[in-house]
Amino acid sequence: MNRIIISILEVAKREVLRMSSRWLYLLAVIIFPLLSILFFGSLFKEGVPAKMPIAIVDLDNTVTSRKIARNIDVTQLSMVSMTLQSESEAMSELRKGTIYGFVVLPKNLQSDILSSKQATVSYYYQNGFLIAGGLMQNDLTLILHTLSSGINIQKREALGQPEDLIMAQVQPIQVSTHQLFNPTASYPVYITTIILPIMLQLFILMMTVYSIGIEIKERTSREWLQLSNKSVVAALTGKLLPYTIIFMIMMMFQNFMLYKVMLIPMNTSLGWLTFSSFLFVIAYQAIGIFCIGLLPLMRHALNLAAFYGILALTLCGFSFPIEAMPPVFRYWASGFPVRHYMHIFQNQILAGFEIQYSILSYLYISFFLLLPLLVLNRLKSALIYQNFIEKPKH
Amino acid sequence: MKYKLVNITSQIKEGFMSMLRIWIREFELIFKDVGVMVIIFAVPLLYPLLYSFIYYPEVVRDLPIAVVDLSNSSASRQFTRNLDATPDLSVVSSTLSMNEAIVLFKEQEVRGIVQIPETFSADIALKRQTTVSAYANMGFFLYYKALMTGTNFVALETGNDIQVTNLMNDGLSFSQAQVTAQPLNLIDNAMANRSGGFASYGIPAALILIIQQTLVLAIGILAGTARERHPMGTLIPFDRKRMGTLRMVLGKTAAYFTIYSLLCVYMLGMIPQWFGYAQSADLKELIALMTPFLLGSVFFGLTLSVIFKNRESAMMLYLFTSIPLLFLSGIIWPLSNFSPVWLTVREIFPSSNAIFGFIKMNSLGASVYETSHEIVALWIQAGVYFITACIAYAYQVTNTEHLRSELKNMPYKLIRERIGRDQSL
Repeated sequence: MNRIIISILEVAKREVLRMSSRWLYLLAVIIFPLLSILFFGSLFKEGVPAKMPIAIVDLDNTVTSRKIARNIDVTQLSMVSMTLQSESEAMSELRKGTIYGFVVLPKNLQSDILSSKQATVSYYYQNGFLIAGGLMQNDLTLILHTLSSGINIQKREALGQPEDLIMAQVQPIQVSTHQLFNPTASYPVYITTIILPIMLQLFILMMTVYSIGIEIKERTSREWLQLSNKSVVAALTGKLLPYTIIFMIMMMFQNFMLYKVMLIPMNTSLGWLTFSSFLFVIAYQAIGIFCIGLLPLMRHALNLAAFYGILALTLCGFSFPIEAMPPVFRYWASGFPVRHYMHIFQNQILAGFEIQYSILSYLYISFFLLLPLLVLNRLKSALIYQNFIEKPKH
Repeated sequence: MKYKLVNITSQIKEGFMSMLRIWIREFELIFKDVGVMVIIFAVPLLYPLLYSFIYYPEVVRDLPIAVVDLSNSSASRQFTRNLDATPDLSVVSSTLSMNEAIVLFKEQEVRGIVQIPETFSADIALKRQTTVSAYANMGFFLYYKALMTGTNFVALETGNDIQVTNLMNDGLSFSQAQVTAQPLNLIDNAMANRSGGFASYGIPAALILIIQQTLVLAIGILAGTARERHPMGTLIPFDRKRMGTLRMVLGKTAAYFTIYSLLCVYMLGMIPQWFGYAQSADLKELIALMTPFLLGSVFFGLTLSVIFKNRESAMMLYLFTSIPLLFLSGIIWPLSNFSPVWLTVREIFPSSNAIFGFIKMNSLGASVYETSHEIVALWIQAGVYFITACIAYAYQVTNTEHLRSELKNMPYKLIRERIGRDQSL
């Protein structure tokens, strides 16, 4: 037993020396993961977009239309950056991208309101961007409905209706929105928390494949196996141990940024958080071993890992829900630990549900740890016979 | 004078011929390399198909929700039926207890809860305002959006009906009641992506990003491979004929430009056609945008490629940038909310302006004039990266020349020794 531990440590020591021999290791293991945390941590720092530029096309140019324009300007989301004279001008600005939307106040708006005729107000917004479009729609619909109700209220007051009744008359059914288990309706909560693990899994996967593949490519794999007394398990454990430690630190730093600096609610214990983070790291290392074991030619294994890693962004289902995809992709999606990690985050960390609602996700992630067993023999023979080295064609 | 002129023409001719040679050689390098072929052909051909199938349903329909009907009256049951009838929502459970609904929510049987108050029908009868509560799942933006869209729509419609009925009871005619209830007739015009479909939103950006990323990656991989295979580890092959910087850069650019022009026909022409994505831009407009983008990406790739000494390095260092680049383009988080630092970083990559310009042209129908900001920025990038690519390659060319002249005077034995030493590094 002691001998195994010693050989694992020997291999780990060798790996640390190898890591310091090339810039690539420093970049892909430490610098880029840190930059990614910095990028995604600061990009959405405002939480909710604010003061997005919009335009008003005021064809009426009366006291009433100017008052409506001012009311639109004071909403939190949008800011009237220009007042234009024609709809086509505004449409051109929208196409140029200088504004995200505009409202057209028609001619005769004031006189229509005064003479109890219905006036038509059109609003346009750029819906090619999901978040901006959705927010614009909500914001413009809400403010214009409020203004419409305001006119309604004034009319009723003029008619002499009792004030306390008016509100109930104007808006008989009110909808109050509650965000279940996430009181702060801010975007970092559901973008950054998932994007950061997705980024990290790319680094873990690629680095695992690279660190093993380079031994085959550069014919140093026999020397590596010798150091671990020909035990491929000890060799892999020793080699990946330094990465496990570094990526685990990265994961915890990420958690620190999310829950302590960005103050995203964390409703679970530090123990569970550490445990799920640890499972996440080693599950992806296991998948990395599987990739290189399956295709011991490094460049093919890297392509495979890259294909799989990039697909996680889509198939973890945080942007477009898996339930809305064609059924075949629902099964495929289970093959991504980051998806199960996302469930753990949503159920246990964010919402603070009892462990019974996350236990299945933990089990799923644990299954990935068995993957290396399938390719262990194949990998060992590749390490010994080095029969997967590309021969340059001349 | 005349002699000089002849000299120049023959030089141009010679330069052009060796550019052609480099062009053909780059083609050979690409087509002989399975790994690079996968990146240049398989990824641009298959990824758009895969993503289109994944996002095929485009929008979230029939989000499963639970209704907690505390009123249990005919009015509240009608309200529930109206919720179920919206395209956004599907009422899978109607219960009398909130706890029951929460358990369903935890088990992910439902993705949202709507609670109708006990006083619902009494409030309406007594002309009091009533409040319906919607409990949304904030974990998924699209679930939240579907629940709010559906509930708000039903509440507004039902409220409007109640208001009109009340006004008519007060003695107004139907049309008078309508105008009083809705003094402003609001018309919602969603531009670019009318139904808010997810594929129509994400795929155009993905297409442009795939072009840049695979281009830069392939150039980097081939440069690393050239270095690796070369006995002296130089990027420039030891030819008997001198390899000039300009012909080197232009020859390689021509090779990638031709391949990607053809790929653009597939990615920007056929894919949108097959899957019904917006296609407002005509060929001339697309060429105006894509020419500087492709040139800029190739020069960008050539500039960066000189740093790679190994084949795998490019993949290790480029892959992860794809996700941040998608966010940098400004299609997810609005540009008006970017900090100046990230706005500056955004200008480094050709993909940012190309994605924005492509969506403007193809989805909103912007003209070349209206896209001029992006097109000019792309040309500036192409110009700057052309210069940096020339500088980087000039350095490599002089380096190789230097090595060649050094080796010329070296005995064979010494050269062998040197090759052995270089490989051990």
